[in-house]
Amino acid sequence: MSPLAASLVVELRTHPRHFGELVEAHMTTPWREFLLAWGELRSADVLGRDDAGRYVIRSEPPAS
Amino acid sequence: MSAGFRDCLRDLEAAGELVRLKKSVDPRHLSALMAQAPQATFFEEIAGYPEWRAAGALLSTRKRLAVAMGCPESSIATRFEEGIRRPIEARLVDQAPCQDVVLTGDDVDLTRLPLPMMHVKDGGPYISATLVVSKDPEYGRNVGSYRMMYRSPRETGIDLVSSSDMRVYYQRALDQGRPLPIAVAVGVHPFELLAASYKAPIAVDEFAIAGGLHGAPVDLVRCKTVDLEVPASAEFVLEGELLPIGWTADEGPFGEFSHITGEVKWNPIFRVRAITRRPDPIFYVLQMPWENDWLAAPVIEAAGLQALRVASVEPVAIRAPLGGCCYWTLVASIKKRPGEGKNALLALLSVAEVKLAIVTDDDIDIYNPDELDWAMTFRVQADQDTLIVSGARGKHIDPSVRAAGLGKGGLPTTAKLGIDATIPEGVPRSHYERLRYFAKDAVRLEDYR
Repeated sequence: MSPLAASLVVELRTHPRHFGELVEAHMTTPWREFLLAWGELRSADVLGRDDAGRYVIRSEPPAS
Repeated sequence: MSAGFRDCLRDLEAAGELVRLKKSVDPRHLSALMAQAPQATFFEEIAGYPEWRAAGALLSTRKRLAVAMGCPESSIATRFEEGIRRPIEARLVDQAPCQDVVLTGDDVDLTRLPLPMMHVKDGGPYISATLVVSKDPEYGRNVGSYRMMYRSPRETGIDLVSSSDMRVYYQRALDQGRPLPIAVAVGVHPFELLAASYKAPIAVDEFAIAGGLHGAPVDLVRCKTVDLEVPASAEFVLEGELLPIGWTADEGPFGEFSHITGEVKWNPIFRVRAITRRPDPIFYVLQMPWENDWLAAPVIEAAGLQALRVASVEPVAIRAPLGGCCYWTLVASIKKRPGEGKNALLALLSVAEVKLAIVTDDDIDIYNPDELDWAMTFRVQADQDTLIVSGARGKHIDPSVRAAGLGKGGLPTTAKLGIDATIPEGVPRSHYERLRYFAKDAVRLEDYR
């Protein structure tokens, strides 16, 4: 996982975030780089949602 | 050859309805800038995406829609009706600008597109101006429009919750455990989007309806990796398949055309196998909610006119107001005979999406909200002039249908309300004689300043 993707995991583990909140916190990161990192999180199948629609890091292992 | 997306941009610019922004814009700011512009917006430079330009908010007002349709604002429904009455079959061509660049295999990468951030609580950047083509072995080709949320360089979410022909196609493929191939064309003429919005019978080809609107066949080209056809003039095309996973992947929220923030939905995933495009593509950002709403207006208004005629009621004017998102509400004035106020309501409420219908006599200007309020105040007795129909099909994005408890893939129901604001039977028309000012035409204010 890239350093940016790893930092997004840490951020989401600490606080559930809307996608836009994550984007806002990384506005100095080139957009494409951010989207590639986000794609890494999707591919790793670690993302979940809370009741408000915010992203979280799932605590349970992904379903096979 | 029928007109394309770039022809529409030219028409808007010629009408003074398009502004060009010359400075480089971050894709994360496209939507925010469009929201501030009084016209449709063209972005000549996108930061980090040198081959791309972008445009949006093309149809955010009734006026701009009318410019795109080449008709007066009052005629968008009849103009649309003319098109659907005279479908023209699409034509297959060998060469297409949308396939000047073909990307497959490892070159498929959605992050190379200037995907826009649109709303504060969106689940990701969205491709909002899609024309999605699919095919069923029995029913044939279908064309619809479905939002797509970026997930990863080769995957998007797709909102396939609401009932639609493609939902049927996908369910049939899913039942057989196979993916559903689709092609997604972006940057097409509004006529194609209007045809896609139209709830045509399942076997009717939406491209033929688009041809009827153009008055010329839509040129289609075969896709490179799937057995489907797309408009040759599109700015870019995504080819791939809906995975046979059912409604299991998180998608949304998205700023809905109901003007409110939606919720997370459970939807299929679109896996992209190929991207084809022009060498200098323009990314079309369909700006929510206005642009989406106005695209619905001619379709819903035309459906209302048809329903009234089938009910042998003579319509005078019809309007799908923006307050009802040009979708949920229809207001019509009619030349009324006894009983036809109620007949007209039954007809208008038969239009699948409409949950509020108001009918007036032909002396009411339904484009004037004060006139409409006046008719509803003085021509309506609530216990005699309203109709309520319970348990009709509803839409998830209407919070009042309480869809949250339905579970994955569940479809909500709604109640429909009709208000007969025509002069009640038994009340003489003379009781509604409007006051008139004495000598109004004999004097002029300017002469007394």
